[in-house]
Amino acid sequence: MNADERELLEGLHALASDGPRQAPPEVEARLLAEFRKRSRQRRARAWLSAASVGAIAAAIAVLIWIGPLRPEHAVPSQDAAVLADETAADFYPLPDADGLPPVESAMVVRVQVPMSSLELIGFPVNQDRDSDPVEAEVLLGQDGLARGVRLVE
Amino acid sequence: MLESPSHSDDDLLRLIAKGHEPAFVEFYRKHQGSVYRFALHMSGKTEIAEEVTQEVFLTVMAVAKQYDSERGSAVSYLYGITRNFVLRCLERERPYVAALEDVENEQADAMADEHDLLSELARNERIELLHKAVLALPPAYREVVVLCDLNEMDYAEAAGALGCAIGTIRSRLHRARALLMEKMRAAERCAV
Repeated sequence: MNADERELLEGLHALASDGPRQAPPEVEARLLAEFRKRSRQRRARAWLSAASVGAIAAAIAVLIWIGPLRPEHAVPSQDAAVLADETAADFYPLPDADGLPPVESAMVVRVQVPMSSLELIGFPVNQDRDSDPVEAEVLLGQDGLARGVRLVE
Repeated sequence: MLESPSHSDDDLLRLIAKGHEPAFVEFYRKHQGSVYRFALHMSGKTEIAEEVTQEVFLTVMAVAKQYDSERGSAVSYLYGITRNFVLRCLERERPYVAALEDVENEQADAMADEHDLLSELARNERIELLHKAVLALPPAYREVVVLCDLNEMDYAEAAGALGCAIGTIRSRLHRARALLMEKMRAAERCAV
């Protein structure tokens, strides 16, 4: 390295340590405000998506429920009520189902639930496996409310 | 989750993508100085450096989830964004940059000023002259000087940041220093 190069590098070193070395604090404040604003918007979007999925699921459930009633003019026959009673007998009743009107027409929905939720209906559950999924069928009454549940073998 | 500032940049970017504010603060405080200085030395203007710093971290907020560590380090990723913003600002400020690039052609007009500067040979004046010479370099040479000589990055890091081979960095830096020495010698000759 010759004298000129050495002098140049010394000058560059001095230049590097000259002048401001950090962005002013206002930049951080503005960026944080923007970050918080975007986080709020993201949370609102996530909540809306979840609500939309819920609403769509509810709408589908209502359509499925109304569909079979339409040809019968929404008046369940005596035979249907008897069949529903027989079907309901195969299910373990849910704790809050006692206060609901008797089942006149029923729909069965197959779902996957964590094993821990079976404790609600009195099944003994191994604590080590309480997060394992298990398949169950839920009995819905004519009002769309769950009456009972049974395990799928 | 973020008790100590010991997270890697990759982890911080992943957390930022999920909206984790402390991760953003840590990432910003870790890198804002080098982004700011790079923009400042490339443009010569504090307002541009401030604007670029803000835009770079706004971009990080928006695109952190697209960051892929297999395509390059977080530092390269950050410098890639910074460089784009700086070059865009330099393009916008072209009249200013062009004026700086014409320094050699305007030596006769500037002779009186340079004479004053060099007559005292004061440290600050020499630094100022060198700063002008750096700003007058073409951007491709200026950025290697800023990264390697002013931001003290090694050749490999600079190559990652600029997306080119280490050999390219070495040859550009060699050429850039030669240009700077020429400019400094020319200024000294004018002063004599």
